[in-house]
Amino acid sequence: MLPPTPSLPQPPTCRAYRLSSWRQLAAATLVCVSLGSTAAWAQADEYAEVNRLLRAGQLNEALAKTDQYLSSNPRDPQMRFMKGVIQTESGKSADAITTFTKLTEDFPELPEPYNNLAVLYAIQSQFDKARAALEMAIRTNPSYATAHENLGDVYARLASQAYSKALQLDTDNTGVAPKLSLIRNVFATTSGSKAPPLAVVAKQPAAPSAVVAAAPAAAAPAVPAAASAVATGGQPGVQSAVAAWAKAWSNRNMEAYLDAYAPAFVPAGGQNRSAWEADRKARIVPRSRIGVEVNDLSVQVNGDRATARFLQAYTSDILNVSSRKTLEMVKRGGRWLIVRESTGS
Amino acid sequence: MARSWSLRRGHASGSFPHPGTVSMQSAWLTLLLGFAIVAVVALSAWFIHHHADDTESATGPTVAESPTLIAGALASVRPSVTPESAALRVGLEYQPLSDAALARTSPLFGQAEARLIGIYRFIQQSKPREALREAEALALDHPNFQLAQLVLGDLLNLQTRPVKQLGDVADTQALAAAQQLQELREQSRRRLAALTERPPEGAVPSQFLALSSSSRHAIAIDASRSRLYLFENTAARSSDARGRVSAAQMKLIADCYMSVGSAGVDKRNEGDLRTPLGVYHITSSLDPEKLPDLYGAGALPLNCPNALDTQRGNTGSGIWLHGSPSEQFARAPQACEGCVVLSNPDLQSLLALVSVRTTPVVIATELQWVRPETLNAEREVFEATLASWRELKSAGDLAQLQRLYSPRFNNRGQALADWWPRVEDEVKGKGARAQQVKDLSVLRWRDQDDTLVVTFGEVNEGSRRGVTKRQYCMREDNQWKIMFEGTV
Repeated sequence: MLPPTPSLPQPPTCRAYRLSSWRQLAAATLVCVSLGSTAAWAQADEYAEVNRLLRAGQLNEALAKTDQYLSSNPRDPQMRFMKGVIQTESGKSADAITTFTKLTEDFPELPEPYNNLAVLYAIQSQFDKARAALEMAIRTNPSYATAHENLGDVYARLASQAYSKALQLDTDNTGVAPKLSLIRNVFATTSGSKAPPLAVVAKQPAAPSAVVAAAPAAAAPAVPAAASAVATGGQPGVQSAVAAWAKAWSNRNMEAYLDAYAPAFVPAGGQNRSAWEADRKARIVPRSRIGVEVNDLSVQVNGDRATARFLQAYTSDILNVSSRKTLEMVKRGGRWLIVRESTGS
Repeated sequence: MARSWSLRRGHASGSFPHPGTVSMQSAWLTLLLGFAIVAVVALSAWFIHHHADDTESATGPTVAESPTLIAGALASVRPSVTPESAALRVGLEYQPLSDAALARTSPLFGQAEARLIGIYRFIQQSKPREALREAEALALDHPNFQLAQLVLGDLLNLQTRPVKQLGDVADTQALAAAQQLQELREQSRRRLAALTERPPEGAVPSQFLALSSSSRHAIAIDASRSRLYLFENTAARSSDARGRVSAAQMKLIADCYMSVGSAGVDKRNEGDLRTPLGVYHITSSLDPEKLPDLYGAGALPLNCPNALDTQRGNTGSGIWLHGSPSEQFARAPQACEGCVVLSNPDLQSLLALVSVRTTPVVIATELQWVRPETLNAEREVFEATLASWRELKSAGDLAQLQRLYSPRFNNRGQALADWWPRVEDEVKGKGARAQQVKDLSVLRWRDQDDTLVVTFGEVNEGSRRGVTKRQYCMREDNQWKIMFEGTV
């Protein structure tokens, strides 16, 4: 994979293992599912509500909502698809695989469930299955760009595995690494220019996208004008802390990377600190190349607490992914340290 | 999508010969890599052609024919047959990788290799899909065939990016396994070379002056090509009662890839990790059940050190033809501690065919292929010497007989004076009976000395049974002198 070109305007994309979002499916299924206009509106509301809950991170509520809806509309492909996405997001891979598999059986003409099935298989390092699913997606829709790109990444992984066997290198178990980025990234994903702009994009400070994307990673402290307006005092310190964190991650300098996190840092997903650190090491150290670019940074400072929001472009030898990232930081001993890290909004 | 493809295309045009310069680049590469580059250039040409319009297209790879580019690339990398070319110098002839040629290249050995070459041919024909399908099948059947895995990796990558060379691995992998990568490329090059540089029909390695009908098979190894050639002896009865023989009549029935010692060939000392060069014979067949995994499907020990090795003070024993360990289908061209290593399927084919003790094994740095008749003159000179030996021994003329033996005579450390009483006893024992020589094999080994390894049956007139004798004769002052003699 090649590093992205910072100079080209580009919407946030996940260039590896793009999950299809429900929006793409909606366009297809609304045509198939023939409903009166009122019913369609009501339905759209239900979808919107599930989506809102999802984005708010209320996964259990979102799942309950889909189950409630599906109890009366058990075949509805769009809601079932959303359920699969929620299950993926909740880490219930097996359930999500079941959901998407059944969708492929009931609606074999839809490419999106195949695509997401492939993403789940890829996360489990089952690249042969991922490839088969993507080939099905492409067979159902030969111009499905997301599946083509995902397939390209799966080919690259399969090639890497074959090379490892050829060179008798230990087969790297790095298929795990893309997992969280992928799942968190579901709703920050678009597929080319055809998809409507996503909420997370629309919520950005009103900088034209060309300006946003033009801010190169290396110049992370050079925040776009719109972001600067949002920020208040203490901001330069936060900016350089974020830049240092991204640099340590890029250099795979674990000491500096972990040092960017406060002792009070709470890992996402209920992990304890030592398990989280081990997890991070396992994912960062084996990479031959990592690049973390920070774009479109906005900083809000409130006394000794700060929130940094930005577009994170992660590239490595195996995965390229862009996602929204939020770092909550505290100032301790003159340094800004991360206390919470979240992705997706 | 547009961004990544445009970058990839930029990458391609930066790293690859522009279609117009393909032939020049290829000619240069040919010098370095030989025929192996065919596959790579063909892949690249396909990729450049195929992905040229991907910026506008989101439909992903589909097979596109580009006959002009491929044909051009292939024409320029096909080795030019000149009198100076190394293959011609040693009597081989160029044979393109055609179906007919591969069918002639016996299917007895090397099923996996044949499949690998089939994949290369699909690449040549710009059929990457078929190539990928076959590579996956081959890697599935032989997951430990590292070269097949390497080609599979290339074909998978070709789905999304250009492939610059065989084994176009990530830099980190190339660094982590530089030697292994180089060895796999070399293995590929040698396999292709062996399949495109073929011995002409009926040609034999120049060592085989005569081959007794008691040897049903013979083996010749060309270390420079990592190739083992198996011959069937097609001579009916090649020697008459007077010991006259016809030219060796050997049919090449199979050949396969093999590896030699990690330090190469020309063994001198025990533990020098080299494979000996010379004329050897298989002495036994070892039960694979009782061997460590390293030896794979079995082992055929050779009579190493032979009489010439001993005479020279060379040490090193336990030289075997053996199979491959379970983790490696084929080993690197130079891999083991001095043995000759085959893939297990090839070794099994060999085990099923060859008989122990009567199969000669010639191990040479590079074999020289000749028409068998061209060896007649040399053989006839030796036959005259052998005839005198037989006549003098039959007549019991010990004084004259001894003049046929070399002052360098050495039988397991015994000089001629110490060993001679044995000849005296033999001559006395047979009395006035004449001797017959039958089933003559003569293998010539030339290095700093000119040596013949002579094997024959010695029968006293009136006896039904005789002994098998082996002599090593050395050329001294333009005469063949017996340097070693013993029974087999």
